Amino acid sequence: METTDLNLFVRTSEESIADWDRSKIVDALIRETLIDRDTANEISKDTEQMIRKSGIKVITAPLIRELVNAKLIEKGLENTRKMHTRLGMPLYDVDSLILHPNKENANVPHGPEATNLTLSENIKKEYALLSVFSQDVADAHMNGDIHLHDLGFIDRPYCSGQSLEYIKKFGLDLPHSLSMAKPAKHPEVLLAHLVKFAAALQSHFAGAIGWDAINVFFAPYLEGMSDGEVKQLAQMLIFEFSQQAVARGGQAIFTDINIYWEIPQHFVSVPAIGPGGRFTGKTYGEYEKEAQRFAWSLFEVFKEGDGAGRPFFFPKPIVHMTEKFFRTEGHMDFLNLISDVAADKGNTYYVFDRGETAKISECCRLSFKLDERDLLDAREPWRMRYCALQNVSLNLPRLAYLAKNDDTQLFNLITERFILAVKAHKEKRAFMEKLLSLGEDGPLALLTMNRDGMPYLRFNLASHLIGMVGLNEMVQVHTGEEMHESKRALKFGIKVMAHMNLLTDKMRRQENMKIVLEQTPAESTSYRFARLDMRYFSPLSGRVVKGDIASGEVYYTNSTHLNVKHAMNPIERVTNEGIFHPLIEAGSISHVWLGESHPSQEAIADFVIKTFKYTTNDQIAFSPEFTTCNKCHRTSRGLADACSYCGSLDVDGITRITGYFTKVSSWNKGKLGELKDRFRNIEYFSEAKKKAVNE
Amino acid sequence: MSCMGHNNPIRGFLETSFIDWKGCISSVLFTGGCNFRCPFCHNTDLVLHNDTMEEIPLENIIFTLRKYKKWVDRIVVTGGEPTIHMDLFRMIGQIRAEGIKIKLDTNGSSPSMLKRLVNEGLIDYVAMDVKGPVDRYKRWCGVDINTQTIEESIRFILEGTVDYEFRMTVVPFLHREDDVYEVAEHIRHAKQFTVQEFRPRNTLDASYANIKPFSPDKMAKIRENVARIMTGGSKQQSVVNAGREPAGDERTAVSHKKPAHINTQYEAEKRL
Repeated sequence: METTDLNLFVRTSEESIADWDRSKIVDALIRETLIDRDTANEISKDTEQMIRKSGIKVITAPLIRELVNAKLIEKGLENTRKMHTRLGMPLYDVDSLILHPNKENANVPHGPEATNLTLSENIKKEYALLSVFSQDVADAHMNGDIHLHDLGFIDRPYCSGQSLEYIKKFGLDLPHSLSMAKPAKHPEVLLAHLVKFAAALQSHFAGAIGWDAINVFFAPYLEGMSDGEVKQLAQMLIFEFSQQAVARGGQAIFTDINIYWEIPQHFVSVPAIGPGGRFTGKTYGEYEKEAQRFAWSLFEVFKEGDGAGRPFFFPKPIVHMTEKFFRTEGHMDFLNLISDVAADKGNTYYVFDRGETAKISECCRLSFKLDERDLLDAREPWRMRYCALQNVSLNLPRLAYLAKNDDTQLFNLITERFILAVKAHKEKRAFMEKLLSLGEDGPLALLTMNRDGMPYLRFNLASHLIGMVGLNEMVQVHTGEEMHESKRALKFGIKVMAHMNLLTDKMRRQENMKIVLEQTPAESTSYRFARLDMRYFSPLSGRVVKGDIASGEVYYTNSTHLNVKHAMNPIERVTNEGIFHPLIEAGSISHVWLGESHPSQEAIADFVIKTFKYTTNDQIAFSPEFTTCNKCHRTSRGLADACSYCGSLDVDGITRITGYFTKVSSWNKGKLGELKDRFRNIEYFSEAKKKAVNE
Repeated sequence: MSCMGHNNPIRGFLETSFIDWKGCISSVLFTGGCNFRCPFCHNTDLVLHNDTMEEIPLENIIFTLRKYKKWVDRIVVTGGEPTIHMDLFRMIGQIRAEGIKIKLDTNGSSPSMLKRLVNEGLIDYVAMDVKGPVDRYKRWCGVDINTQTIEESIRFILEGTVDYEFRMTVVPFLHREDDVYEVAEHIRHAKQFTVQEFRPRNTLDASYANIKPFSPDKMAKIRENVARIMTGGSKQQSVVNAGREPAGDERTAVSHKKPAHINTQYEAEKRL
């Protein structure tokens, strides 16, 4: 039979209409799979037969491909079919995507750019699950045993910590860019370079871009500037980052800026780089005043909020509280200022670096402790570029359903899942290595550029994150009590984390990979796991998931956190949650939900100092709630249905979702359930009422 | 009205609060029962139903205060109205013996109890609620009371033996704006007069739950005028400001002074 016998037009993927040509099926099969020519021929004939019978006049290339796939399945050629798979989305899904906002990540607005992002993410996600990861890893993700974060960004590392020194020293000289900029001579130009570079990095990383000691590294440029000029610069920096919602997918660049009041010990005697990329002849230790002036101005701007008095969503200011902080002149004034911002706007993150460890933070709560090698790098701070390749979270409650109250079984399951997560990391790592090996001609050219004797992305130093979701519910299923309910339950939780900590250590040595535990932000994962477990593990799961089952607003408690609804005073919360933090190397956080109450800065400052002194908590943040009016553009305290200024009902609620502030209207259902539950330190009357609150 | 002799009046306790003692972390102790019936009161249960509420033993509270002493070394005693309880003196004495600082919230109806507590050095801070101009007190507090007691408490507090503040909750429809200024005139030389926004929640007179509080703009204007009166100016010059202001309420409008050491250098440079 001649192929031309078939009077059929094919709409190809090249936006053209071609005549039917059976040999194209054969070519594709030979090119894409490992099938032999005879079988391919046979399949193509079968397919043609089927199309002929159907009497169809115009057919699309995707349909032909699926018909071929059907034939492959009939012949039991499952592997061949997988290789021949087509990725894409149903018309219905694309339609609703273009029309309706994305609720999985509240940092994605709704618009054509955002739709592009979601569409491409979907295809890359499918690609990752089919082609980057092995079947068991992909299946474990699909059924919710584990969660591979940011699969839609499979061809990038996860998140990163950056140094401003790199741009100061080398200027802005990016591969394939249209122009090369020499090192900045003026602070405004340095700021422009910073923002451009951050945007470039955003398109090469999935998540957060953190900047270390930003006020310290800006300092040499600030000499001789008046207070007004410094404030202006601070304002530019914050507005630039908070308004970068014009970049990838209409997303703001998820930016963290790390701020120190003192000059961190490891930078004190480091030669400072100033205008023109030249050493100024002074050390950073000598720029303490400029660094402090800039830190001060940044927080003055955070305090004012944006044009409508709202808190800035980005950049997130992370202030490091160290032993030296408390010995540095003016630290109480500064602590009061940042605590005023915490109470009023909520921006401030307090990171506690106790003892003499040095840390830098990035992403929602990811931080790196600097080891000896890093401290050597600190002599040449432009080398201090870090990244995590991927983040994999374990669904802990599910393991408890499976273990059926058997300790041995439970710990065995944790180990198994942990090893699976490590396998996922190895697969991603191999894939990234492949991309990076293409060098400056490859897709990740920016990350391979070599200006200082090593590639920009220092692959050998990359971390691999393993997170956990729902420790509280795991303990609840296994012991019958939530972690706040008894010492026994809390101890069991600690035992689980100690086991994971030990596994991390072992696997790190065994695989020679930097594997670290992290408290997963799990903005959508805690919802996804809870939803999937409601499907697969009812009725057990129904007894422990948090939120409201009837409305589908279900979630697991994040990471190692304690029940967010439980009426527990903030001292108990930061103390007890803090017990877990030393076991979680890559960073943890405790939240104090303020609601509409407005504490005084001194009370917050006092609480922060005591948290530093009396607990092992790594990081805390205070979260107020706001209502912002779309009519009169003003913002008031608390979540309300109407604007308290003009009475308009066209309002948005704003508060912290996980590691950042955003509009409540963009939250997924799980997070909405959590928001309703959050305990906001209200008074209670009598133990009975306290119990009532807790039930 | 409940005068309870040696009955335990404690009906509520909050281990940590960031807001009840300005500038500090504090615990809060709530006594049940009140001799006032302010229609806008939001602690209705404490006032009306304290008999059915569970008593919290003082020992439990002292135990908790000891437990958190590193963190919290002060307590706010509030109500209801604490000073109606004969036992208050003994209770506060016991807490004081723990080395805990104490703030008393009172409606000022028992100047004798107030003076006794202050003169014995048992309290560190008094916050007195002034419900409105003294000449129409029944209107504000819902009962006939001897306003001499209120005047006496105000005078005593103004003497400044103990750190203090006066507070007034502004309720639309109940109060006219001028009532606030009248109170301000009355306590003109007080070092602190806090004007609080009414919250229409769980009110003693249920119909008050439907009253919408003044807008933040109006409150800001009232506070501005009050500040002017307190410093000796005339009232009511400010009109509602329609322009944009930073969010948050008045309590936050503190401007921070930069530490001197990061300021001086450039002042000097400018002079050169």
